[in-house]
Amino acid sequence: MLFDTLKDLCMIDGPSGFEQEVAREICRRLDGKCQYTIDNLGNILAFKKGKETPKNKLMISAHMDEVGMIVTGALPDGMLRIGMVGGIDPRVVLGRPVTVGPKKIKGVLGTKAMHMQTKEERSTAVPADKLYIDIGAKDKEDALSIVSLGDPVSFCASYQEFGEGFICSKAIDDRFGCAVLLTMIESELSYDTHFAFCVQEEVGLRGARAAAFTIAPDVAIVVETTTAADISGVEEHKQVCKLGDGPAVSFMDNATVYDRELYALAFDVARKNGIPCQTKTLVAGGNDAGAIHVSRGGVRTIAVSIPGRYLHSPSTVASKRDMEAAARLVPLLAAEAANL
Amino acid sequence: MIDVTQTLLTLSACTGVAGAEQPVAQLVSGMLAPCAQSVFIDPLGSVLATLCEPQSGYPTILLDAHMDEIGMIVTYIDDNGFLKVGSCGGVDRRLLLAQRVTVHGKEPVFGVVAAHSPHLSTGEERKKVPEMDDLLIDIGCSRERAMELVRPGDRVTIESQAFSMQNGRVCAKASDDRAGVAAVLRAAELIKEAAPACGVKALLSVQEETGERGAKAAGFTADCDIALAVDVSFALTSDAPEHKCGKLGEGPMIGIAPTLTKSISDEFIRLAKELKIPYQIEVMAGETSTNADALGVAGKGAKTGLLSIPLRYMHTPVEVTQPQDIEHTARLLAEFVIRMGKQKEGCTHAV
Repeated sequence: MLFDTLKDLCMIDGPSGFEQEVAREICRRLDGKCQYTIDNLGNILAFKKGKETPKNKLMISAHMDEVGMIVTGALPDGMLRIGMVGGIDPRVVLGRPVTVGPKKIKGVLGTKAMHMQTKEERSTAVPADKLYIDIGAKDKEDALSIVSLGDPVSFCASYQEFGEGFICSKAIDDRFGCAVLLTMIESELSYDTHFAFCVQEEVGLRGARAAAFTIAPDVAIVVETTTAADISGVEEHKQVCKLGDGPAVSFMDNATVYDRELYALAFDVARKNGIPCQTKTLVAGGNDAGAIHVSRGGVRTIAVSIPGRYLHSPSTVASKRDMEAAARLVPLLAAEAANL
Repeated sequence: MIDVTQTLLTLSACTGVAGAEQPVAQLVSGMLAPCAQSVFIDPLGSVLATLCEPQSGYPTILLDAHMDEIGMIVTYIDDNGFLKVGSCGGVDRRLLLAQRVTVHGKEPVFGVVAAHSPHLSTGEERKKVPEMDDLLIDIGCSRERAMELVRPGDRVTIESQAFSMQNGRVCAKASDDRAGVAAVLRAAELIKEAAPACGVKALLSVQEETGERGAKAAGFTADCDIALAVDVSFALTSDAPEHKCGKLGEGPMIGIAPTLTKSISDEFIRLAKELKIPYQIEVMAGETSTNADALGVAGKGAKTGLLSIPLRYMHTPVEVTQPQDIEHTARLLAEFVIRMGKQKEGCTHAV
């Protein structure tokens, strides 16, 4: 169930600001299972009754958007200029297929052949402002008759299981979080719980800011995907977290100093239930917790993230074991945090 | 009748990294069979077919395209099950990070080219391109499992699915030089129908990307009077120098170079004009960096000509061609051969 949902969600295109298709699919899955509204930004705010009303108002959130690109211009030769939506390393898009705009026009990020590059050019990444997309258009007019300025651009990349229990896909960050929330909503809950499927995380934690205001929780759990650098040659202390060692719980990142008690509680709950769990060992990155914990008068917040290699690329790699462990940990942690 | 677009797609989907061309060689042998009197695979793996024997006093013409593609080769399996690789032909390192690959091991093995995540890379690091030596392939396996599946020497290709673009253009990996192979196959079909008096052989060569090695050996075996190479060349994009590029969709690029036979270049131009086949001129100052260089000096030596199909993004997994260019190349090539078969006394008025 978890992986089927994840696969379906990952295959939908939804760069920041263009989450509608993802939202539509999530709403389809919510219909008849809980109450929900869509706010002015496009966040889905859902509420599901539990057996009891908790002491703390609970919010569990994940973001629907993914990194991508946006068409910023068309060149005389029919090529499209693009801007990066979210933190994309330009090195992971060169030479790759993409889909452009609502008509899903296919194109590629091209480059002049290496034969025509100088030695220095061969060792220098093509910067984002020099990248272009070729959709096969003859000229600017031809291009703009097929696509429009402002059209979103998404990676064209399949969902693939491989190796010893791994998944490679685009958009695991953070359709995985969305899949966990949907799985929880399918189950019977101990406590009344609010769920937020947020927009625009990748462009400044924007959806979550409004969602947290509207829900006004006491305690929030963010379900995310975070960077793992557990690759040969990377020093142990710089690996951040490791695939296969369970979900990572952060004490601090660039956007949030997490609630100390919730941090300790997460490890307690994991230990008691025999769920693997690890600390994120580097203060790096950030997620919707950054917007949520400073909402209104302040919200006690924690993030539970699965480790992902090659995050923000068309080929994010995550471990199925970590996903299963996170999907078990989040509801158990929520039940404990409800009465903290 | 061979449809060049479909043929290109079929050829592109097949694997054949330099030095490991067996899958594509097998495919091509089958495709050539209906047009050939005999098909033979030489010691290096090149496919050499005889389309027709020369009648007395007529020359033998060799049509060549290379069937190998660039890729990588596994050099080492580390303690964590990551693979080290080297390049097999000219690999553009700038586009390797986070690419999905297939390791052609005991079975096809999925992998991802390992990279640091952008959240950790600083602005400066993002400008750098890793050396081949700093790259790893992540196949998601322990060393033990990796050793079962993969051996050093196994080839690696970047995962890429062909698709059609606007205006009939086609994006397909290994179009360098499978587009050329498609042109030779189509030309072979046209030539067979015409049954010319000259001898015609078709060579689908190996290891062009690692130094035109297949053509060196097979060129000797073919023992022809005239060798016509079909390869791809640069189609203009705004980031490339205009004087080094042709244009997509504007027909075959007829090569002129000190290492090519000028009268053959001239005959191509004359024929293109006569038949109203669009063409472009590509002038090179020395060698052409194609199999024409090797074929010209193979064995006793041969007169050489070169037709190049314009192609964008050479040596990337997203090479783009315009199929009309392939069809036009095939027609020009076939017509050249057919005319030769009508002119007795060896190398004719043109050559």
